[in-house]
Amino acid sequence: MASKKRIIKVVFLLPVIVYSIFLIFLPLLYIFTISFYKSDSYGGMIHTITFENYWELFDAVYVKIFLQSFIIAIITTIICVLIAYPFVLAVSHKKKQTQQVLMTMVMVPFLTNSLIRMYGWIVLLRKSGIINSLLTGLSIIDEPLPLMYNNLGIVIGMVYTLLPFMILPLYSSVSTIENSLLEASSDLGANKIKTFFHIILPQTFPGLFNGALMVFTPALGYFFIVDILGGGKIMILGNLIKNQFLTARNWPLGAAISVTILLIITIVILVYRKLGGKMDDLGGV
Amino acid sequence: MKKGLLFFLILFLCLGCDKEASTQKKLNVLNWSSYIPTEVIMDFEKQTGISVNYSTYSSNEELLAKISNVKKGTYDLIFPSDYMIEIMIGKNLLEKMDQSKLHNMKNLNTSYLGLKYDPQNNYSLPFIAATTLIAVNTEKIHDNITSYNDLLNPKYYNDIVLIDDQRIIIGMALLANGYDMNSTNEEELKVAKNWLLKLKPNIKAYDSDSPKNFLISKEASIAVLWNAEGALAMQENPMIKSFFPKEGIALSIDNFAIPIGAKNLDAAYSFINYILNPEVMKAIIESYPYKNVNWLTDHILDAKYLTNPASNISNQAFQSGHFVNNIGAGIKLYDKLWIEIK
Amino acid sequence: MKHNKKLDNFCLILVMIFLFLPIFVLILFSFNTSRLNIVFEGFTFHWYKDLFSNRMLLDSLGNTLIVAVISTLISTIVGTISAYALKKYDFPFKNFINELLYIPVVIPEIVLGISLLCIYTVLKFELGMMTLILSHISFSIPFVIISVRSVLEQMDPNLEQAASDLGASKLKTFFYIVIPSLMPGIFSGAQLAFTLSLDDVVISYFTAGPDSNTLPLQIYSMIKTGVTPDVNALITIMLLIIFLVLCVSMVINIRNLNKGELK
Repeated sequence: MASKKRIIKVVFLLPVIVYSIFLIFLPLLYIFTISFYKSDSYGGMIHTITFENYWELFDAVYVKIFLQSFIIAIITTIICVLIAYPFVLAVSHKKKQTQQVLMTMVMVPFLTNSLIRMYGWIVLLRKSGIINSLLTGLSIIDEPLPLMYNNLGIVIGMVYTLLPFMILPLYSSVSTIENSLLEASSDLGANKIKTFFHIILPQTFPGLFNGALMVFTPALGYFFIVDILGGGKIMILGNLIKNQFLTARNWPLGAAISVTILLIITIVILVYRKLGGKMDDLGGV
Repeated sequence: MKKGLLFFLILFLCLGCDKEASTQKKLNVLNWSSYIPTEVIMDFEKQTGISVNYSTYSSNEELLAKISNVKKGTYDLIFPSDYMIEIMIGKNLLEKMDQSKLHNMKNLNTSYLGLKYDPQNNYSLPFIAATTLIAVNTEKIHDNITSYNDLLNPKYYNDIVLIDDQRIIIGMALLANGYDMNSTNEEELKVAKNWLLKLKPNIKAYDSDSPKNFLISKEASIAVLWNAEGALAMQENPMIKSFFPKEGIALSIDNFAIPIGAKNLDAAYSFINYILNPEVMKAIIESYPYKNVNWLTDHILDAKYLTNPASNISNQAFQSGHFVNNIGAGIKLYDKLWIEIK
Repeated sequence: MKHNKKLDNFCLILVMIFLFLPIFVLILFSFNTSRLNIVFEGFTFHWYKDLFSNRMLLDSLGNTLIVAVISTLISTIVGTISAYALKKYDFPFKNFINELLYIPVVIPEIVLGISLLCIYTVLKFELGMMTLILSHISFSIPFVIISVRSVLEQMDPNLEQAASDLGASKLKTFFYIVIPSLMPGIFSGAQLAFTLSLDDVVISYFTAGPDSNTLPLQIYSMIKTGVTPDVNALITIMLLIIFLVLCVSMVINIRNLNKGELK
């Protein structure tokens, strides 16, 4: 009996162990190792140990890109929160059936190709695009607004692509709030704003944090949005990494940037955990 | 029951792999995106019974990254540009071609053979040539653009689109200042950087995907782009004209090459021969009007191609052009400069 | 608690418009006579006809679906078992593995793509459907684990105990008690995995072989000369199918919900 239990345990654990070693740990180890190599001019690598790549990241040009990316990612995250909260609360006020329909509809656009959706946005945001034509047609504005090929275009694209990653975890944590709690708060005379800050926000904080993480991290990397809607005029970390791996053929530097990003995100998660946060509140439609 | 399912799934996967190893002749092509129309490939399959697996890349460096990191023999035919041929030969990534099997090689215009990146054409044969040019919507811009320096005119605020290619754009800045397009001199590059910063307010976007759409949709009035893009834009709107700046244009020749260890050599040769067929080349050139390098095709191309200065680049413009060279470690300077101007 | 219904609806409609606006544009342009996705010039079904003769596009769609279905199935099964096992059992380096599982979620895709490519080269795997599926599995599993885990946390621990008290074996308990109660988490994990796989460009770019071109890769490569409206047509058809599937599943779901309420 005991041996059978052991066998079951091994069978249950084996997949996750094999998976995390071969498909996560080894690839990661590889990236970590090459971040200490030197690159030669042909895109090859010299197998020595050097911290040069990390030192290079303190150069003003790279610091600028780190800052730019973080600003864009933070703005994206904030806008996602501002859209997702009212939306999710509005959804949670509906009947169960309606809730399910609404949450499914949120996912529908994301079952199509993300690049193609960016092309949809170009048609909307261009100088002679649908939005500008509409606004000038109604004489609300005289000159077409510069809606894309600038930072505004980038943020629109990012928010659009990443919004569901904020909505999903937030929804699953909002739906766990006991209705009685809200009623009690309203019975006790708390107004909407007070209820939000004292009950809803603390209760949904894990969902909020996970959503923020799921929006923030990809927002550092989605180079194709910067290229298509931003007109390729600025660089974020995603462009920089892509550039190092594919154009400059400087894999060690690309690896060092990746390791740095990973490190920053790990620190954020650790701080959150130290403050008593939980990490498992992602799914749930 | 779940386990049973899993078992069948694995079985199914194994069967799937088995099927792929079957004996039907095949050819694994890795090419630039949108260089050969689908119909041409389908006709080749019909004629030869070889099934073509066609995948794409969008820069020479991507190609290099892929070829040097996959198992040997994954791909049979690739299309590197001039300087990349040199790099790939240096890294021993290319197979020597057997010229006796390339009977259609005779159709190639000899002025594109024996170039310095592969003097004996042991590893490569030219497929198509491309140049950059400046395309201008003359409805909006009435000036005559004769030099890259004309682009600095503050009149063109937020009205210029450039290809998103650091070697071409930095090269353009170097040329504008009278330097060599492949310079790695730090002083000269600094001048180029300042020139690009001066140009910056005029830049609407960097786009290597389809800069022609900016012109056609009137989003921008001036574009520095590859000649086929320019030619297609001119077909859409006759008011778009092409200009060749006096400092010279950038040149690129894309080549057939076989990666080392390729498994389907014969299929690769028959594909090259098929493409070098004048009629087939005509179909390709008409869809993607780059500069043709096949002299037999030159005789059968129609007037629309031949009379368009953007597709049928004049020999004079071509002679004054500059190739992008492999600059070794100098690329790091370019790379940093590119980040600085963005 | 009273809610402002008008404000709620306003908010819902606004977000839905935001989400679906570009989709409507795409659908509209699939009927456009012009080859360029720039101005709407006239109405045609031409591109739908074109689509069915575009072998490369259809092949890539086939590959995409095969990869998405297989990788979703495997990652859902492995992810569910793993989430359960990680909660249930203790073993050396458990914490370490737990941390590792977050990495594919937070790492830039391009890094995962390149490092997987290098590992396949080291292991001498030939690039193809197998490596592509493996890569999709590898970025999907953490999402399944995380979403199953969130349900697992809320599960009543007495449930399993009760089953085993009644004499059910471990495996029986797992299949008849644990799995059914985890269904919402499993389902949403699978949905995420499927969505991610269907749309992945970057990781596929590095790990697909010559015989495994997927739809996102095909579209990515078409961007150079401008995406032709037959792609819009394909997307429109896909949306139609998705919409039908969702309608059916929603009807079933709502019926179940109603039943539950009646009881």
